[in-house]
Amino acid sequence: MSQSLRPYLSCVRNTLTAALSLSNFASQASERHNVPEIEARTSPELILNPLTVSRNQEERVLIEPSVNSVRVSLKIKQADEIEHILVHKFTRFLTQRAEAFFVLRRKAVEGYDISFLITNFHTEEMLKHKLVDFIIQFMEEVDREISEMKLFLNARARFVAESFLTPFD
Amino acid sequence: MANINWRTINIDAYDPDSAFNFDLTTLTPAVQPVSTSDVQTLSGQIRQLVRGGNAEGALQGALENAPYGADEQGKSIHLSVVTEVLGQIRQAEMTPILQRLYQADGGSELCDTLMKYIYKGMGQGAPGSGAASKNITPQATGFSQAGGRNFGGEGGGQSMSVFLSWHEKLVEMVGPGSIVRVMSDRRTV
Amino acid sequence: MSAPEVHHLFHAPIPDHSFSADRSTLAVCRDTEVELHARRSPTAFAHSSTLRGHDKTITGVDIAPHSGRIVTCSQDRNAYVWEPSPSAPDTWKPTLVLLRINRAATCVRWSPNETKFAVGSGARILATCYFEEENDWWVSKHLKKPLRSTVTSLAWHPNSVLLAAGSTDGHARVFSSFVKGIDERPEASVWGERLPFNTVCGEYLNPTAGWVHDVAFSPSGDALAFCAHDASLTVVYPAGPEQPPRAVINVSTQLLPFRSLLWTAETEVVAAGYDCGVYRFQGDGEGWGLVGAVEKEGGGKAGAAEGEGQSALNMFRSMDLKGRSGGSVDDTRLKTVHQNTVNTVRVYEESGGKVSKVSTSGVDGRVVVWTL
Repeated sequence: MSQSLRPYLSCVRNTLTAALSLSNFASQASERHNVPEIEARTSPELILNPLTVSRNQEERVLIEPSVNSVRVSLKIKQADEIEHILVHKFTRFLTQRAEAFFVLRRKAVEGYDISFLITNFHTEEMLKHKLVDFIIQFMEEVDREISEMKLFLNARARFVAESFLTPFD
Repeated sequence: MANINWRTINIDAYDPDSAFNFDLTTLTPAVQPVSTSDVQTLSGQIRQLVRGGNAEGALQGALENAPYGADEQGKSIHLSVVTEVLGQIRQAEMTPILQRLYQADGGSELCDTLMKYIYKGMGQGAPGSGAASKNITPQATGFSQAGGRNFGGEGGGQSMSVFLSWHEKLVEMVGPGSIVRVMSDRRTV
Repeated sequence: MSAPEVHHLFHAPIPDHSFSADRSTLAVCRDTEVELHARRSPTAFAHSSTLRGHDKTITGVDIAPHSGRIVTCSQDRNAYVWEPSPSAPDTWKPTLVLLRINRAATCVRWSPNETKFAVGSGARILATCYFEEENDWWVSKHLKKPLRSTVTSLAWHPNSVLLAAGSTDGHARVFSSFVKGIDERPEASVWGERLPFNTVCGEYLNPTAGWVHDVAFSPSGDALAFCAHDASLTVVYPAGPEQPPRAVINVSTQLLPFRSLLWTAETEVVAAGYDCGVYRFQGDGEGWGLVGAVEKEGGGKAGAAEGEGQSALNMFRSMDLKGRSGGSVDDTRLKTVHQNTVNTVRVYEESGGKVSKVSTSGVDGRVVVWTL
């Protein structure tokens, strides 16, 4: 398990460190505006090649860099239907509280479960390497959280089934 | 005409001078178009080298002749060749091969090209990547938990772990600079 | 080499900074204001006055060494020239410059003879500004072709006519900004002989076409260096007008991209950027190479090596458990003096064509003076 997690996370870490080379860049399409170019997509030369880091078909990270913003999208492992539901509920819970997370995007990029939007204002306010740490920690913990929730769910289901079946003893 | 929602028209797209219509091909003046059949011939030669046991030479040849000017089909042929070569090389041999590759003339550029193929390989099977993935994973439907897991994880995971370990070794050698070059280089593989 | 002189001014990014000629005043951009800091002691600066007038992020500031005039430009599309008012000390009189650009201004620099300055902008325009006596106003002439994207940086040739500009379209270009009646006819150089306004004397693309972050002419003006977003440094030696350059040398590094660079001598360049450190390059027409960091490893702390063995173990342990490098020790602080991206490198002290001290400013709100 941790055998393949380590190269995966260190790959994401290196890629993110490289992608988070952002500068304060005012829009060259609209006057007196300063918008994340990766979302506005007004000038193709300001968008860099998107990179994908995958651990397997089900777990991957899409990193889309641009001159003043980076969009990071995660696909969280979903081995079965229960995990699918849990991931959906969990990411929904987070995205509805997006403003408390600063870098969280309100809507995930299509094909992914959760997205972050990091702009140059975030890298200026916060330490860049700590932002990378945050994403990595999120990635580790979301897996743990989901499998923990699944265990709880199973335990509860077992308990419910047991108490439901007790009278028929 | 009545069906068009005027408010959503991107007027910049109609102005040839706007930033929206920046011509990216002007950034890659040195790239010559390469036909798919040429790529096929080349990949045949590289496979021959691999069969002859010269995986290092095959890797070098494949990276030196990366078909920047080929179309999607040609590029995916070359990618599958590079993937094959990478899979042939054992873990213990990676670092010495990379060292020799990096120290050779123009080695830093070859390493950048390798980095591009590693990312491209990992990008396979991602939505919208267009590249055909070898085993298409059905979304787990919930009927058979074990089945869904077997299907998804292992098949893709094997080749991904090859890419991931190559990536790790390569970054040790060439640092984050190489990753930045993959992002900013307009000559895509 | 003595330790760098660190001034932590505030917790906000410094896009640009400039020292006055006698190095007693430091001008730094802070959001929509320019703060002037006066030297109180050999190691400390104190805030003395503030230049207010812009209403968006200020992107560039430059103090003219001889006249003492300050020019600033901002994302609000304006540039001001500030002159000290003769009546009251520490008060400055702004004059709006007629830039005629409709996008953000990105950078500004005085020409070496201080009769002109140039402003780069997001409107794909490079505005050359000069003072028109009859109107008592700073007016501008536009360099437009063949810029195709935002101008990120500019640099003046020592003859005050040639102007280099780096742009996000991946090109570094050399223009002539000859203004009749203002400029003397320049001597012929490797860049060209006759130089009417808007002559393109050179146009260089780096191999990956990454955004050019900064450009600079060598002290003699016969070579041009630029750094781009592909973490490389390119040095161009032109052969003469209408001829392909004698040598174009590209050094790709293992580091993160550089934001700013500076020639310290004819054979040496220092550059700094996203790696938070200052790096030294050396070379000539035959080839260039990265020499190393100006900063000493680990800040020169004793016992760093001992901690290293321990932290290597911790590092691998935490890499295994968390995929993070750095270990359990406090990894909030970076090992470098700057804790975030370095935005600008400028000359601090120069004697006999050799730069002995440079100053850097970064996103972390620090201005650092380095002895080379």
